[in-house]
Amino acid sequence: MAGGALFLGLVLVLAYFSETCFAMITFSSLQRTLVVTASHPQRILKAGEDKITVTWGLNQSLPAGTDSAYRTIKVQLCYAPISQVDRAWRKTVDNLSKDKTCQFKILKGPYTTTNRTSEWTIERDVPAATYFIRAYALDDDDRQVAYGQTNDAKKSTNLIEIQAISGRHVSLDIASVCFSVFSIVALTGFFVTEKIKGRKAQQ
Amino acid sequence: MEISSGIDETQPKFALPVDSEHKATEFRLFSAAAPHMRSFHLSWVSFFACFVSTFAAPPLLPIIRDNLNLTATDIGNAGIASVSGAVFARLAMGTACDLFGPRLASASLILLTAPAVFFTSIASSPVSFLLVRFFTGFSLATFVSTQFWMSSMFSAPVVGTANGVAGGWGNLGGGATQLIMPVVFGIIRDIGAVKFTAWRIAFFIPALFQTLSAFAILIFGQDLPDGNYQKLQKSGNKQKDKFSRVFYHGITNYRGWILALTYGYCFGVELTIDNIIAEYFYDRFNLKLHTAGIIAASFGLANIISRPGGGILSDMMAKRFGMRGRLWTLWTVQTLGGVFCIILGRVGSLSASVAVMIVFSVFVQAACGLTFGVVPFVSRRSLGVISGMTGGGGNVGAVLTQLIFFKGSRYSKEDGITLMGIMMICCTLPLFLIYFPQWGGMFCGPSSDKVATEEDYYMSEWSSNEKGKGMHETSLKFADNSRSERGRRVNSQTLSSNATPPANV
Repeated sequence: MAGGALFLGLVLVLAYFSETCFAMITFSSLQRTLVVTASHPQRILKAGEDKITVTWGLNQSLPAGTDSAYRTIKVQLCYAPISQVDRAWRKTVDNLSKDKTCQFKILKGPYTTTNRTSEWTIERDVPAATYFIRAYALDDDDRQVAYGQTNDAKKSTNLIEIQAISGRHVSLDIASVCFSVFSIVALTGFFVTEKIKGRKAQQ
Repeated sequence: MEISSGIDETQPKFALPVDSEHKATEFRLFSAAAPHMRSFHLSWVSFFACFVSTFAAPPLLPIIRDNLNLTATDIGNAGIASVSGAVFARLAMGTACDLFGPRLASASLILLTAPAVFFTSIASSPVSFLLVRFFTGFSLATFVSTQFWMSSMFSAPVVGTANGVAGGWGNLGGGATQLIMPVVFGIIRDIGAVKFTAWRIAFFIPALFQTLSAFAILIFGQDLPDGNYQKLQKSGNKQKDKFSRVFYHGITNYRGWILALTYGYCFGVELTIDNIIAEYFYDRFNLKLHTAGIIAASFGLANIISRPGGGILSDMMAKRFGMRGRLWTLWTVQTLGGVFCIILGRVGSLSASVAVMIVFSVFVQAACGLTFGVVPFVSRRSLGVISGMTGGGGNVGAVLTQLIFFKGSRYSKEDGITLMGIMMICCTLPLFLIYFPQWGGMFCGPSSDKVATEEDYYMSEWSSNEKGKGMHETSLKFADNSRSERGRRVNSQTLSSNATPPANV
């Protein structure tokens, strides 16, 4: 009885640890089986305005059944190496749960064997940087099993440059200037009032 | 038969008991009575506002760095800039307090730096970000006016407490802002603003708070228990002093330089930790940025009791052991702070780290409070300059420490923290060299010379010419009031010798 409980406990502990072991997926373990292309106007794109058309699908030259485990597709906007320099919060790390390369979701949907296309308007909170696009294929447990991206392993070609919104508004600018001027004027006003009061007291 | 009432009819009535300079001899926290406690509340709230403004950017950096396209180097430089502006501003503020009074000096600085906080909303590049942080950082010089104001309003037995609570509750702003700014940002974003606009609007809150606190000081504040500098100078009750003399007597007092160095390694360490601790916990223990931010906030929030605790402890030790007690306690607490800093860099588990950090924060902040239990006694004529030198030294320590140990990747953050602890211990040793002829130092007792009295020490700051004009009157009163710094044992001996009746001539 006690032995049985101990054995059960051991199994549960092992299961827990194996769960955490399996949870560590590395990028280098993924297969590049998807083909991803993106088309967009050939200039600096504007966040909030311009659109990118993304096409993705399985590499047709691969044997059938490669994609048996694929259930979901997640397409993301990822930082190119030039935008990661001196910015540890965008660092590429092999352990996918700690990887910060791809921070913006373009879309997430069910996986289909045929090629799919989607048009995405660049969201307004995308920062100014250079990007590429990557698609992950996820299995039943939402774990990455394969990927594809718009350029090679060096991530040096087919880059998308995006110009962000500044976040500034004319009304904010005016308010800042007005309040600042008011502070200085108020200070001067106080000094003048004090001097006048001082002179009155002397009279 | 007339019974003399013994009450001087011309004396103004104060809500608190006062000494001969009309400084309060009691500190009543929950009173707002003018002028003493009202000045206390005005000074700590305005200093708190300046701290909130100066450290408002760090908790919002994850959004700002994307909006302004900052690199880690840009962020590091802006952090150093935010504390370097105050180095000279504090010295200038000290002099301004001596010459114009803390009310005008602090309100002017606060209103002159408020535009920098307003302009943070329109920053659009790494350079403009660095500039606004640099100019906003000047507002930290209000620390000096706070300490000066408290030293002008509160007497020797409670000056450590008053300075400690005002300084501590102001420093609290550095911790509170880590909680306030993300909440304000969240509310504005939820109302409908885009992230990159929401943080800009959020900065109006600390800016307006700062501006309003300056107005409160100008309307309700008062430099001295008897009135404002200008009024007192015009009525002849206060002599207008010369900048060159005030400055000279401040910078030639070696004790000011030693305290500047030691304060650089308690307050400077506190500022450095404010800038790096969130990242340290985030990177070393893989916490969420939100959790790391809460831990960072708790370091600053400990100021609510630890710095006042240092001030209270200083006054308690002075009651029994006088100035020597203040010095020994300061050295002990700051050295222990250094020891815990070394340990903080060595521990490897999250819970041990948080525990050590909290103990470390209590010791290092108490040391700050203890320092300003000693500062009011170093000089009476140049109190502002000494306060400014010590306060500025604190910021120099922060700049130096961040440059040596926390810039680039020469040292890992944990090694940097350990080395900082070692430097703290070394830079606290000069306290042994501080010596007051009338009270002694850490190793030596008071001078056995009959001429070593409080009056001699404070009168040495005035020339005979100036004494002839009567400019030294306040220093004389202060010397008399500071006799309590001899401690209880020596005090009773002095009293018994004074009680001997004069011989008949």
